[in-house]
Amino acid sequence: MNEPDELDLSDRVMMGDGGVSEDSDLATRIGRLVRERPYGVLCTQSQSQPYGSLVALAATDDLTTFVFSTPIATRKYRLLSECDHVALVIDSRSGAPAELMQVEAVTATGRAHVVPPGPDFEHWAGLLIACHPHLAAFVRAESSALVRVEVVRYFHVCRFQEVRQWVPSRTT
Amino acid sequence: MGPQPNYVIPLADVDGSHEPLVGGKSARLGTLADAGHPIAPGFCVTIRAYELFLAESRLESLVRMELDRKRFEDMRWEEIWDAALRIRSAFLSHPVPAEVAVAVIEALAPYPADTAWAVRSSAPGEDSANRSFAGLHESYVGVVGRQAVIDALRLVWASLWSDAAMLYRQELGLDPARSRMAVLVQAMRTEEVSGVAFGCDPRKLSCEFAIVEAVPGLCSGLVDGQVDPDWWQLRRSDGTIVEWRPGSRDEVGTPSPLLQEQDLSHLLGVLIGVESLFAWPPDIEWTGRAKRFTLLQARPITTLAPDGKDKRGWYLTLRPGMARLRKLRTRVAEELIPALEAEGIRLAAEDLEARTNEQLAEAIEERLASVKRWTKTYWDEFIPFAHGVRRLAVYYNDAVRPEDPYEFVGLLQGEDLLATQRNAALQSLAGRLRHNTPLCDAIEKACGSTSTDAMNWQQDVLAAVRSLMGGESFLTEFRRTLESVLDLAYGNTRLSDRPDLILRTVLEMARSIDQDVRRTTKSGIQTAETLTQRLLAAVGPERREEALETLEIGKLSWRLRDNDNLLLARVESQLIRAIDVAARRLKSTDRLAPGAKVTDKAAGPIIAGLRDRTAGEIVLLEETETERVTKSVCPDETPRQLIGQPAAPGLETGTVRCIRSSEDLGRFQAGEVLVCDAIQPMMTHLVPLASAIVERRGGMLIHGAIIARELGIPCVNGIPNVVDALKDADLVTVDGYLGIVTIGLPEFDLELAETR
Repeated sequence: MNEPDELDLSDRVMMGDGGVSEDSDLATRIGRLVRERPYGVLCTQSQSQPYGSLVALAATDDLTTFVFSTPIATRKYRLLSECDHVALVIDSRSGAPAELMQVEAVTATGRAHVVPPGPDFEHWAGLLIACHPHLAAFVRAESSALVRVEVVRYFHVCRFQEVRQWVPSRTT
Repeated sequence: MGPQPNYVIPLADVDGSHEPLVGGKSARLGTLADAGHPIAPGFCVTIRAYELFLAESRLESLVRMELDRKRFEDMRWEEIWDAALRIRSAFLSHPVPAEVAVAVIEALAPYPADTAWAVRSSAPGEDSANRSFAGLHESYVGVVGRQAVIDALRLVWASLWSDAAMLYRQELGLDPARSRMAVLVQAMRTEEVSGVAFGCDPRKLSCEFAIVEAVPGLCSGLVDGQVDPDWWQLRRSDGTIVEWRPGSRDEVGTPSPLLQEQDLSHLLGVLIGVESLFAWPPDIEWTGRAKRFTLLQARPITTLAPDGKDKRGWYLTLRPGMARLRKLRTRVAEELIPALEAEGIRLAAEDLEARTNEQLAEAIEERLASVKRWTKTYWDEFIPFAHGVRRLAVYYNDAVRPEDPYEFVGLLQGEDLLATQRNAALQSLAGRLRHNTPLCDAIEKACGSTSTDAMNWQQDVLAAVRSLMGGESFLTEFRRTLESVLDLAYGNTRLSDRPDLILRTVLEMARSIDQDVRRTTKSGIQTAETLTQRLLAAVGPERREEALETLEIGKLSWRLRDNDNLLLARVESQLIRAIDVAARRLKSTDRLAPGAKVTDKAAGPIIAGLRDRTAGEIVLLEETETERVTKSVCPDETPRQLIGQPAAPGLETGTVRCIRSSEDLGRFQAGEVLVCDAIQPMMTHLVPLASAIVERRGGMLIHGAIIARELGIPCVNGIPNVVDALKDADLVTVDGYLGIVTIGLPEFDLELAETR
């Protein structure tokens, strides 16, 4: 006899908030996280030295591109200029130690490009400002650079150690 | 700074307004005392004490780590039990906050040092008219001494997180994170008679009658269902005794009633008084009579949901008491297992080929009935007895307080399981092949030819094997092994009908003898004898007999839990054999298509076909493979790390071999990572060949986990849908320390390609 489960609880259903359950696909979960937490740690590197910076960001609906703004006199801008391989980490922490198993995080790996002035700039700046209206002046400042990150892959972490990967595909 | 929190409140000072702080049980007792009912003296340890304990010990994080490892509805009961055991151990390993301990000791001080205490759960919201945690949260009676009371306090706190309580809370939709526990500590009264009473008949909710039950001595035996009580039905309006049934006692003839008319009249008065106080018909526990009468507790009668969905009763069966385990031991070990074994042997000895069609049809019917009957027994009696090993776990941990809550598993080593005997037989066969390359080659060649007919397979293909040195004796031993320990059903396959599958495994075993594939008992694990001595030393001479009995029942329940599966698989195998004989006969007369796949589901049409010779060809419904229910996973979304339970420590990387059917058993190669839904007792012989084990089924006490621990093979179990998430030849790293399975190597090829 194939040894049966003694009690099957699989008929019980639990849903998370906002209709996004743990059964939702990664795109839905990552999209929600980015909408609810539009901040992330930008990871850069140069000459074997990694570096991390917190940035305010926005993402396209298809999650293939992030955009953020940075003053050009910053270390992160210099590092970006030297190496365009970057990662972004976005997470749902509130900081309480007991919430470890509830924290959700994504690491997006990809390549950064500075957006030159022109129609493209308006498009990407509009996306970022729509998400962070109070940053409009900062984004349009002469000393700021607008950077878009083309995402190659996402690593999604929940329950401390459960990791899944997802490669976004462009809708246009 | 605010006022000092109330960690302890004397019962005499408690009233109904204290319920959020002391729980309903304590608050009601306070109210009853105020109304003049006699109650036992004592005090309440409030939820503030529990909260301080949680805060100081930081156990809330641990609880969340345990319970949020995966979705609660994805956790099997055994995994919840495991989590509860670890939480319980953690509660026991953290000290009670000094402020609380001081308050408890001060509250105990006025009483003689040898006072026996009842330490009971009193969680706010515990009991109401439509739910009851009675029996799901712990209570301890006969607790003597300060330290023992403080220990019991932690155990009652921990019982908020018992498997049964967690499941019941989940069912009721109560948020575990908001649950709190208060504890009631009362001096015990030892009286000649105790019992329960109901203000109305709880079976019918008829308020015309009250019910009284009484047992000699303490009430706990009655509440646990261990003692059969005297039972009265009383008319509430005038106290008339409508019916009396004596409980079973060791007396010759009809026993005299435990209560007299005046006692019953007094109890009815108490019931009516309590009902008028609380405005609900009560369920009370009491002890003593006349002037020595004491009310132990009062709660609303729990009305079970009319749809029968309330599973509290079922959850209570998850923790059978020692009396029930003793009864089950006798019944299972002395009656049922020998009978099941005899059934398998009897059926195997029957010559089915010689039977007429009618006799063969009868044989199939008999075997179908036997499988059905024994499957029911499996659920009703074998599984409940299996809780003996869990009782041992809790007993060992309470006595020894080991750092590793699974240290007790070492006590189960070396048990003489049927599966162990089979695995030893296969190892013996493998030993015969060792260094005998010609014989190995011949067997390998023979395994290339598959047949579902074991005898033909031997005759047609094994002539070459016989002619080799050692070949004849190997085949003789192999045949004996097939018949004696491999007459088992695995799905719809009789393993004894598939010698090719078994021989492939034996070949792998022979090869692995010379490789460094782990097969020795893990050196770090402590011997059963050492752990037994540790247990006996911890309990002391007074509890030695109790410990030995708990140990004996625990080991027996573990052993029989394995054996019952194999013995039942043998009866199932004999059902398949009868159906196969019938199918061959029907095929030979063109009544059944030559290629028809026959399973036990085809028994009905096969029986009908045997009996009705005039009917034409028998058409069997095509069995479609049960569709796998999998989560919809986007094709461009891949798992990288899977999380399960760390069931046996170790770290190994290897390629995956998923076992989904009997065919896969023969494909398993030494050094592969064994991935399956659950390691069945029928396939444990593969475990020593595996570099690591990954299972969907979770639990520290399931076959795969225990064997892996013994052999020092890393094991991660409890990964939902793991057989769908992994496929053959996937490279995985199994981390049995953390319960993580990592798929593939870390690579950034994708990112690098994007930049080219």
